[in-house]
Amino acid sequence: MTMDEDLNVLAAEYVLGTLSLEERQRAESLAQSNTDFAALVRGWERRLGELHAMVPSVEPPLEIFERIKQRLAGGGPGGQVVALETLRNRIGRWRSFGTAMAALAAVLLALLVTSVVRPDLMPAALRPNPEVIEVVRTIEKPAETPNRLVAVLQKDAASPAFIVTVDIATRTMTVRRVAAEEQAGKSYELWLVSKQFPKPRSLGLVGAHEFTAGMALAAFQPDTIADATFAVSLEPEGGSPTGEPTGPVLWSGSLIEAVPSAQARP
Amino acid sequence: MLTAAELVRLLAAVAKGDRAAFERLYAATRAKLYGVVLRILRRPDLADEVMQETYLKIWNSAGQFDPALASPITWMVAIARNRAIDLVRKRTDISIEEVPEVLELASDTADPLATRERTEDLGRLLECLGRLDPDQRRLLLLAYFNGWSREQLATRFGAPVNTIKTWLRRSILAVRECLGS
Repeated sequence: MTMDEDLNVLAAEYVLGTLSLEERQRAESLAQSNTDFAALVRGWERRLGELHAMVPSVEPPLEIFERIKQRLAGGGPGGQVVALETLRNRIGRWRSFGTAMAALAAVLLALLVTSVVRPDLMPAALRPNPEVIEVVRTIEKPAETPNRLVAVLQKDAASPAFIVTVDIATRTMTVRRVAAEEQAGKSYELWLVSKQFPKPRSLGLVGAHEFTAGMALAAFQPDTIADATFAVSLEPEGGSPTGEPTGPVLWSGSLIEAVPSAQARP
Repeated sequence: MLTAAELVRLLAAVAKGDRAAFERLYAATRAKLYGVVLRILRRPDLADEVMQETYLKIWNSAGQFDPALASPITWMVAIARNRAIDLVRKRTDISIEEVPEVLELASDTADPLATRERTEDLGRLLECLGRLDPDQRRLLLLAYFNGWSREQLATRFGAPVNTIKTWLRRSILAVRECLGS
């Protein structure tokens, strides 16, 4: 049993569909982070996909396309999903995140759905924010300029570590720790990296709790914030002693609009 | 169905946001994709949901389609099957009892294929599947067509899950070897 064979069998079983849900998700994560495995999956999709010719065609009900069109238009109950699909699509084009999208969209979906559908489940620090309700309306009827931006800080698609949500209007942000493990005697420090500044600017420590809410960005112009890269480095406990990152930068990401603007809709 | 080249052109137009092209793409492929997902899901309401998600995904990812790596229809079928299988794995209320016997494939008695859909690649695949033990061939086909898990296959074949795993592995590697790629 070689590694090559194991990966081939995993790819083929993923394509066949014999894996459990959990195994499927693991295979998808692997395909997102490992181009060799992704190529194996594509190869099996191509080989086994020929079998589609053996499946009899069945004419679907007419209403299906009407629903698809509605969802594309952003109307109806699927509007939320379209907004996320649109978001995913645009991030792909703008940021060349490429295959990161599935994992990213899943994280965003969880975050947005929680904030939109069940604001009561959000931590107290986020709940009083009336913007949460505003998001729902804005997605259905997009505003010209977004005022809520999200960045997923990650090393690769399979491991988003932090989610940064920025409110441009108030220039505050909330950082949610997703997968970053607490490390004894160390602190995570968040940095803003911008062409405007010769060196990264510290935004403070993050990750001590699941949510770090209300962090100030008042020192920065909205444009600077929107174009910046956010990065988290591992520092000695209490933060960098020099004011610049001293430890490894573990995760980074750029902001994307949580609320698609009207112009960019399909 | 349109030719592969026509589907490639439609996908390229869809990638640029051309809704008319999307509508033509849907018209050309809906019956094939619906046939595929309905067979796996067995329930029109679920197949309806998966069709919507599949075509939204196609709309959004058409730009990622690479004709050098896949044929347009196998690419679209893969999206549809993945959605359908994710859904059946999440639900436990889809019974395998009502699933009809799988098409007997690669049998010498009848060619179930419309000739225009029979590509050279499919011919080679069927030849390789034909070299497997009948049970192992049926195993792969039941998995592909009906989206069955190893557990469901174990029930159907009256064999332990580990045996199914071994059979799957052996069949997969034999097919790869036979196709020589």
